[in-house]
Amino acid sequence: MRLISIPILLVSTFLLSCGGGQSQIDKIKAQQVKKAPEPKSLAEAEKNWESDHGIGPIKAFTLPTEIDQVLAASGKETYEAMCTACHKAEEKFIGPAPKGILSRRTPAWIMNMILNPDEMVKKNPIAKQLLMKFNGSPMANQNLTEDQARSVLEYFRTL
Amino acid sequence: MKLSTRIAVPILGLCLISACQKSGVDQVMTGDAANAVYVAPGEYDEIYAFMSGGYSGQVTVYGLPSGRLLREIPVFSKVAENGYGYSEETKAMFNTSYGEVPWDDSHHVELSQTKGEFDGRWLFINGNNTPRIARVDLSTFETVEILEIPDVAGLHCAPFITQNSEYLVSATRFSVPIPQKDVPIDSYKENFTGLINYVSIDAESGEMALDFQIEMPGFNYDLARNGKAKSHGWSFVTTYNSEQAHSLLEVNASQKDKDLLAIINWKKAEEYIAQGKFKERTTSYFHNVTNEATSIVESRKETKTRILTPSECPGMVYFIPVPKSPHGCDVSPSGEYIVGNGKLSADQTVFSFDKLMEAIANENFDDEIDGIPVINFEAGLDGIVEQPGLGPLHTEFDGKGNAYTTYFISSEVVKWDLKSKQVLDRQPTFYSPGHLVIPGGETTKPYGKYLVAMNKITKDRYLPTGPELAHSAQLFDISGDKMKLLLDFPTKGEPHYAQAIEASKIVSKVKKFYPIEENGHPYSAKNEKETRVERKGKEVHVYMTAIRSHLAPDNIEGFKVGDEVYFHLTNLEQDWDVPHGFAIQGANNAELLVMPGQTRTLKWKPQKPGVFAFYCTDFCSALHQEMSGYARVSAANSDIKLKWGLNDDELRSE
Amino acid sequence: MMMSLEANSHNLDKRIMTKSRIFMVLACISLAMVFLFPLWQITLDAPQFPGGLHLNIWVNKFSGSGKHIIQNINILNHYIGMQAIEPDSINELKYFPIIIYTMIGFGIIALLADKKYVYLGWFATMVALGVLGIYDFYLWLYDYGHNLDPKAPITVPGMVYMPPLFGEKWLLNFYAKSYPHIGSLFLGIAIAASFMSFLKCKKHSSEIDE
Repeated sequence: MRLISIPILLVSTFLLSCGGGQSQIDKIKAQQVKKAPEPKSLAEAEKNWESDHGIGPIKAFTLPTEIDQVLAASGKETYEAMCTACHKAEEKFIGPAPKGILSRRTPAWIMNMILNPDEMVKKNPIAKQLLMKFNGSPMANQNLTEDQARSVLEYFRTL
Repeated sequence: MKLSTRIAVPILGLCLISACQKSGVDQVMTGDAANAVYVAPGEYDEIYAFMSGGYSGQVTVYGLPSGRLLREIPVFSKVAENGYGYSEETKAMFNTSYGEVPWDDSHHVELSQTKGEFDGRWLFINGNNTPRIARVDLSTFETVEILEIPDVAGLHCAPFITQNSEYLVSATRFSVPIPQKDVPIDSYKENFTGLINYVSIDAESGEMALDFQIEMPGFNYDLARNGKAKSHGWSFVTTYNSEQAHSLLEVNASQKDKDLLAIINWKKAEEYIAQGKFKERTTSYFHNVTNEATSIVESRKETKTRILTPSECPGMVYFIPVPKSPHGCDVSPSGEYIVGNGKLSADQTVFSFDKLMEAIANENFDDEIDGIPVINFEAGLDGIVEQPGLGPLHTEFDGKGNAYTTYFISSEVVKWDLKSKQVLDRQPTFYSPGHLVIPGGETTKPYGKYLVAMNKITKDRYLPTGPELAHSAQLFDISGDKMKLLLDFPTKGEPHYAQAIEASKIVSKVKKFYPIEENGHPYSAKNEKETRVERKGKEVHVYMTAIRSHLAPDNIEGFKVGDEVYFHLTNLEQDWDVPHGFAIQGANNAELLVMPGQTRTLKWKPQKPGVFAFYCTDFCSALHQEMSGYARVSAANSDIKLKWGLNDDELRSE
Repeated sequence: MMMSLEANSHNLDKRIMTKSRIFMVLACISLAMVFLFPLWQITLDAPQFPGGLHLNIWVNKFSGSGKHIIQNINILNHYIGMQAIEPDSINELKYFPIIIYTMIGFGIIALLADKKYVYLGWFATMVALGVLGIYDFYLWLYDYGHNLDPKAPITVPGMVYMPPLFGEKWLLNFYAKSYPHIGSLFLGIAIAASFMSFLKCKKHSSEIDE
C-alpha cells in the first residue's frame, strides 16, 4: 500500500509542478502578446542599473576596494583569448567596450552577461536593448567558469 | 521484489522531472497533433515539400504532414553514391567558366508557375558560390540543366520566378569589378558593380537562357520576389550594404538606418531590349543541358550577354528606402502588399503596390542614385507592423489575409493581419528560424493549411550526435486562429527556402521508368544480342546490359594495363523500382546506379594485371548476390584478344 | 397508297426480324466482342507488387498491368526455370482469331438461312470450340508449370509450378487467381443467344415462311 502511494504522489507532484510551469509560460506569452510596458530605449532601461543584477548564477555582491592585480592579470589572459573577436577594450566594436563598465553596470550583471548571455538578451531589459543597439549580434556564450568570469571582471576594473 | 520497486520509483520520478524541464514544454504534443501528422503505412502524404540543401548543394523532398524524407535530389554536388557528376553522361553538368566545380551552396527553391499557381512541371534552384541556376524535371526528379550566370558573385538572390514562368530573376550578392580586373579592394566604390539578371524559360521545354542583365550600383543584393496579379511585370529586390563597405560588414554594413528596395519594371526592360538599347558584352559562361533523347549532358560555352543601364533606360528601375538591412521581401497573394523584412529592425515595413505606382506617376522622388530615382519612403508605405519581434527575415501568406513572419533573433513565428498590421498570434520556434514555407505560399492561391519553419539552431531538440547536428524543421497547423505546433523533424544539409505543393499536382506526372525504345544513347545495348566489347586503340567500350539477375557480358578478357575502359550499362528492366548498380574494384571515381531503360557509363583505368570483380550494387532480387562478373586485365604488351560472354558456351571475341 | 406501303413494310419487318434472327445478331456481336475484351485473367499477388501482377489473355494477344507485363513475369519465372512466355511462338494467338472470324461468318449464314438446326449447329460448334479452347489453355498451363529447367536457381518442390485453370492457390510467394474475364462473358452470351435462336426458331429445314 505504502509502495503504491509513492509513485502516485510523485506523479501528482510532477503534474502539479509541470502545470504550474505551463501557466507561467502562458503568462509570459500573454505579456509578450500584450507588450507589457517595457523600456523603449537603452537610456530608459539603464535608469535603474544600480539595482539590476542580471539573470544567472551570480547574486548581487560588492567588490573589495582593492584591485587584485594577480586576478586581473589572469582575467586579461582569458579576455584576450575568449573575448577580443568582438570586443575592443576602449572602443565600440561588434559589441560595446568594457572600459568604464562598472560605472554603468553592477558586478553581478557583468558576470551574468558573460556566463548566461542567451537568457540575458531574452529577459534582461538592459541586455535586450543592447542586442538591438548592436544590430542583433548575439553575445556569444564562451563557456567561461565562474572563476574565469570573475577574473575578467577584475581585469575590467584596471581599464 | 520490494527492493527493485523502491529503486524504480525514484527513477520514474527523475524521468518525469527531466521530461518536464525540456525546453518548449508548453508545446508538448497532444493526441490531436499526433493524429494530424500520422500518415498510416502505405498511405501517401498530402503535400510534397522541396527543401533546398544549403551547403549540401542538393534538394530534399519531404512529405507533409508526416515530415518523412522521400528523396534527396542531387543538383550541385557530385554524388559518388549514384554516379551523378562522375558518369560520362552527367559529368558535363558541372562545367563552368572556372572548369569543373563539384559543389555549390543551394538556397532558394522555386517551382514553375502558370497563371500565378504552381503547375508541378519544374523546380529551379540557385547555386550561390559559383553563380548558377539548376532545373529539376519533376516527372523524373532529376537535374536536367544548369546555367551559369556571368559577372556576378554569390548568387544568393536567385532564382525568383514570375507568375507564368516567363523569367527567373536573380541578382549579385557581392558586387565585384565587371569585367573582372586586378584592383585594390578599397577601390570598392569606384570599381565594384552589381547586376540583376533575367533568365528566360522556354514554355515548352523549360530550357533556360540568360536574356538580359541590368547594371546596378555596387550594393549587396539579397533577396527578390516578383509581382503577381496586379503587380505582375514588376520585380522587387532588397539590398543591404548601401554603405558600400568592403570589410567587417557585420558592423560597417549596418550603419545606415535604411537600405534600399529596388523596384524593376521588367516589361519596360523588355521594351528597351526590343528597341536595341542594350550593350552587348563579351563574357564567358557555361550552359549544360541534358539531351532528352540520349540522356547525355551537353555543355555549351556562351560568350555574349546583353546589358541594360538604368540611367539610359528611364522608367525601368526605382529604389525606395527600407529599414534596416532588409533580408526577404515578399509579395502578398493579391500582389498589392510588398513586405520588407528589415532584419536588424524590430519593425516590419509594408509597401503598397498602388501607392508605389502613384508615387512613380507623380514623380514623388527624394533622391537619385546612378540615375535611379529614389521614391519617397512615406509615399510608398502602406503601414508598419510595430515591434512584432526581433530580426524579421521572411514572410509567407495563407491566402486569407494573414501574413506569417519568422523572427530569427526572438526565435518565433508571428502571424499578423495584412490590412490592419495587427499581430494576431505568435509561437516560439526551436530555435531561430530562417525561412518559412506555406504550401503555395508564394502563389496567388496559397494552400494555407500548414507552415514549416526551417530553424538554424537545433541544440537539444533530438538525441545528441556530437558537435555537428542536423538542422531542424517544425510543422505548424495554421488552419485555426492560433498556430499549433505539430511536429519537429530533422532535415538534410541546411535548408534555406522550401516550396511545397499539393501532391496531386505531381503524382500523376511522375515517370516510373524510361521506355527502352526511346533510349537514344549512342552506347546503349537494348537487348542482350547487342552486348559487345569494342576496342578503339587504348579505348575499350563495353556495351553491357543488366536485368535480374545478371550482367551481360559477365566475363570479359583482353583488357590491358593503360586502357581506358568505358562500361556502358543499359538497364533492360521495364518495371518501377528496379534499378541496377555497377561497381568495379579499384574504380577511382564512383559507382553507377542505372534506372530501368537508362544507359550510364563508368570510366575505369585498369592499373595492374589480374582478374577484377564487378557487381550489381542495388539489391535487386533474390539472386542479387550472384549478379556479378570478372574483368581480366593483361600486361600492356600482351597479345590476349578481347573475349566476352555470359555463359562459357556463348563466349564471343573480336 | 401510303397506308398500304406502311402496312407492307411492317409485314416485311415482321418476316425478316424474327426473334431467332435477333438472338443470332446478338450472338455474332457478342462473339466479335472478344476482340475488345480479354478472355481470361491470371492475377499474381505478392506484397512487393502493389495491386498485383495482372496477365490478361486475349483471343489474339496478352496484356496486363503495364506494357511490359510479359517481360516482368518472365523475369520472375526464370528464377524457377519456367520457360519464357513468347507471344510470337504461341500459334493459338494467330489461328484463334481466324476461328472467331469464321464463326462470325457462319453466324451470318445462319442468320440468312434462319433455320432451326443451323442455329443448333452453330451453338454446338461454339460449345465444342469453347471446351477445346479451355483444354488447350490447360495444356499450356500444364506445359509451363511442369517443364521447369532443373538447372534453375530455385528448385520448386515437386518441380511443379502450375497456376490454376480456374480458382485460386498459393504458388510460392504469390497468391495466384485465375478467372474468366469479360471476353468470356461475351462468349457465354454468344453461346446462350444462339441457343435461344434455336429455341425460338419455328422453321425446320426447308419450310418457307408465310
